Amino acid sequence: MRARLINRDDIVKLVRILMREYEVVAPFCSRGSDTVFDVVTEENIDKIQLHVRNPIYPPKRFVLPHVEQMFEFQMSEVGVSAIPTYNEKPRALFGIRSCDIAGIKHLDNFFLGREFVDPYYLRQRRNLFLVNVVCTEIGTDVGEYCFCLCADTGPAARDGFDLQLMDLGDVWMVVAGTERGSRYLDLEFMARGDDSHIKLRREILSRVRHQFFDKQTSWFSAAMRLITRLEVSESTWEKIGRRCLECGGCSFVCPTCSCFTVDDRRVSAGKAIRMRLWDSCALGGFTRMAGGFNPRKAVHDRRNRRFFHKLAYQFVLRDGSIGCVGCGRCAVVCHGAIGMPSVVEIIRRQELGSQD
Amino acid sequence: MQQILTTCPFCGVGCGIYLEAEVDRVLGAYPSVTHPANRGRICLRGWHVHELCITPARLRKPLLRKNGQLEEVEWEEAIRFVSERLESIRSRYGPAALAFLAGPRCTNEDAYILQKVARVVFGTNNVDHGYGAYTNTALEVLLRSLKVPASPAVIEDVGEADLLFIDQVDLSRQNPTVGGWVIRARESGTKVVAVSYRRDRITLQADIQLYPQPGTALWLYGAIAKVLWDRGFIDLEFLQKYCINADEVLRSVQQYDLLRAAEICDVPPQLIEEAATAYGKAKSALILCSTGGEARDPLDLHAVVNLALMRGHLGRKGAGLLVLTEHCNLQGVCDMGVLPGYLPGYTSVFEDEAMDRFQTLWGVRPPKKAGVTATDVFAGANSSGIRACWLMRFDPLILAGFSRAFEALRRMELLVVQEAFLSPIGKYAHVVFPLPAFGEEDGTYTSTERRVQRVRPVVFTSSVMPGWQLLTELAKRFGHRWAYSKPADVMEEIRQAVPFYSGIGYESLEHSFGRQWPCTQDRPGGTTRLFEDGLRERQFVMTPIKVPSIPAHPGPEYPFRLVFGQSLYFWHRDTYVNNSQVLLREHRVLLLDYPDGFVEINPTDAERLNIRDGRAIKISSPLQSVVTTARVTDEVRPGTVHVPFFVREVAEALWINGAEEIGTLSKPVFVKVEPCAE
Repeated sequence: MRARLINRDDIVKLVRILMREYEVVAPFCSRGSDTVFDVVTEENIDKIQLHVRNPIYPPKRFVLPHVEQMFEFQMSEVGVSAIPTYNEKPRALFGIRSCDIAGIKHLDNFFLGREFVDPYYLRQRRNLFLVNVVCTEIGTDVGEYCFCLCADTGPAARDGFDLQLMDLGDVWMVVAGTERGSRYLDLEFMARGDDSHIKLRREILSRVRHQFFDKQTSWFSAAMRLITRLEVSESTWEKIGRRCLECGGCSFVCPTCSCFTVDDRRVSAGKAIRMRLWDSCALGGFTRMAGGFNPRKAVHDRRNRRFFHKLAYQFVLRDGSIGCVGCGRCAVVCHGAIGMPSVVEIIRRQELGSQD
Repeated sequence: MQQILTTCPFCGVGCGIYLEAEVDRVLGAYPSVTHPANRGRICLRGWHVHELCITPARLRKPLLRKNGQLEEVEWEEAIRFVSERLESIRSRYGPAALAFLAGPRCTNEDAYILQKVARVVFGTNNVDHGYGAYTNTALEVLLRSLKVPASPAVIEDVGEADLLFIDQVDLSRQNPTVGGWVIRARESGTKVVAVSYRRDRITLQADIQLYPQPGTALWLYGAIAKVLWDRGFIDLEFLQKYCINADEVLRSVQQYDLLRAAEICDVPPQLIEEAATAYGKAKSALILCSTGGEARDPLDLHAVVNLALMRGHLGRKGAGLLVLTEHCNLQGVCDMGVLPGYLPGYTSVFEDEAMDRFQTLWGVRPPKKAGVTATDVFAGANSSGIRACWLMRFDPLILAGFSRAFEALRRMELLVVQEAFLSPIGKYAHVVFPLPAFGEEDGTYTSTERRVQRVRPVVFTSSVMPGWQLLTELAKRFGHRWAYSKPADVMEEIRQAVPFYSGIGYESLEHSFGRQWPCTQDRPGGTTRLFEDGLRERQFVMTPIKVPSIPAHPGPEYPFRLVFGQSLYFWHRDTYVNNSQVLLREHRVLLLDYPDGFVEINPTDAERLNIRDGRAIKISSPLQSVVTTARVTDEVRPGTVHVPFFVREVAEALWINGAEEIGTLSKPVFVKVEPCAE
């Protein structure tokens, strides 16, 4: 992999260059300590924040939008004609974290990696340029609920990005992950580094990894083993399920959740649009079948489905990676505090009788 | 693309949410992680709120009924029609024949202008917010006992309390974000006591669960107070110093008998004692109740307020009373004076001095006579004499208490509806004016914790006139020139009309997450908790509650208590829910299994009577009977029949005097239940 160095002040220059080809989306501060991904413009370009809490609204929406128009259909005497409405806007995500990069890789496998290729996802994905930022600051980049270390996705992504930026203190290191990305290493403000920079990178990553141990960590392996072998008791699932208020938030913020529903909406006489919208396995209307049977009628049956799909080994084999990237968003949005880290912990304590 | 912070338009929690939008399209919605009310959590409704902004069902042009059909017309034609018809009705019947009703989803600005039009332009106090049958009871109780018609505690107190006492509200459905606060508090060691007539997601997790028979809450609370008294948990010093009627209340408390109350409530006396002791011992106990998803007797709520006062915990962090509103701006529309007996800021229409103030502000003196309520108009025995009715974001047809509203609606000579979507009320409307939908609207909502916060527009539809603007235009037709050019101008006037809003301006609302009233010139940052700065002597009024008499029972052949429930299905017929695909699916999923509606009974009762889930069931009161479908569920306690309010046949068949008088939590109907051959 090729790498270069860039001065902090030149990062804006890189963004400007990307803006020639792409709509650039980057993290910004909002109210309180809220952070958001928003489009970079000449007005806000100086306010881009690379060391902030990872925005709660996941960047997966740039490949799988919250609401997306799929096609328009027209009914006439001759029949029905459908015209797809593809979104092919070239877009660069500047400052996407390593966990979210892993999420997009997981979605790529789901939407593109098997027999059926999703044309809507494909067009948005191939027009997406990913600039990863390595999380190096504890407290800001690495938040209260982060556990990418346990999910093996961070703090520095190994691949899946076009460019990767890492704060080395005085300068930032830029690594190219793809051919597309490596073109930018030839820009005049990119400088060559030496072995001391590689050493520094290793030192920083090692320090950050060790600082995670004060934070919430997640013993996936125990939970995976217990879930895969069906050794989690019904009463533990009930205990977890009771705390679910069926908001669907965990699915919506999850970088790897891919479920959607479709809805046809009449626009005018003879004309309608088909939308697809994020959906969630937490919801009873989602699991209910057309014939009226609901295999997961009880809320805890729907909740355990989430964790089976994310952690049971047969799904890990099929999907290529475990369905959790350790971003910690589900822990933030969950009313009942049954995000991934606490569920893994509940299972471990209940089933292994561990008190510590 | 832009990311705009706004306020969720569903319940009264006032969750901070962001809308993501692009030029003229809303792309999504997500929670604010630092908003003090929700801290990153929102319910399903919040996650799907953007669907409202994109539905093609949005009204864009006024509709006028011509030859029996609603037809799209230009704004001018509709406004002219309405002004002429209003003038004609007023000249024939006088101002008392006009009523202006707002839903609890109107912004403060719209609500303020609506009541101003009624009072200043037409000279009538016939203004109400439509949910009065439920809410006004709670507001009156708070106003009378605490002198402030709002919740003294705030949502974050749930996370600070040692003990949470949940009084008959299904938090998981009505205010899920608060339900989440409760679950999280419990996980970190807070004790939870729940009193409920249904087992819901939150009460099931409570440490102490009390499921009294409907209609027996006064005995239960009386018995709890008695235990507090017997064990010396009542803060006598606090009562003597700060409460009026304390001695009478203490005397009445001593009349209760724990064992007798336990028998009437059908709750084990040990549980009542345990609950009371836990409440009495807690260093900071917070009571959570609702302004009324269910209609309740005011005495029930007085009993709850008494319990809060007995521990003297008001104004303390993590303690006191959190009264939850069901809709995003229920608090605000009441603050704005959309009440028949109160001007903005809860000034009684009988207070002369205050009326002078409004005369100076408005140039017109409002009438010194209370107006009619929405209940008078829609639930009463058609004696209100209303000929013209203006409904702003309010549809009586979707409310339990107004299932006979169509009778009053048919009699109207003019029915004007302001709505973003065509709701069932459209069938009776003469004119429908479109309103901006969520995401287009600009204004403020006041949440259940008195937090006044902005609702911000993210997309603009120039073709739709906001509510305040249309009403200002209407006022102009009647010779009143009001110089509002934007909602912020209306807020400037609200600051003068409502003393506790005097420090709130759009500029100050731009900072942090709104302002909590009282927010005045002296307290520009607002007030988090009420009563935190110390109390005045004899500030509160307690209400003595005599031991109630046992309600007349029609006899052992009618053993079940039937309650018409609102809370579980509260959102079921909601206009917003009905215009959002995922919400509609989720809120109607039960109806897919029971397409003709259902009533709920407990499995032990069902087994004894040979009633099967999904099968026909006959319910009889001494006067009438009705056949419907049974849903057998342990969500209801044995001995009760729960009827979701939208199951009209049951309501109409068992109707006696209007729903607010029968089948309520305070006054259930006694019925018998039997299986029915199909």
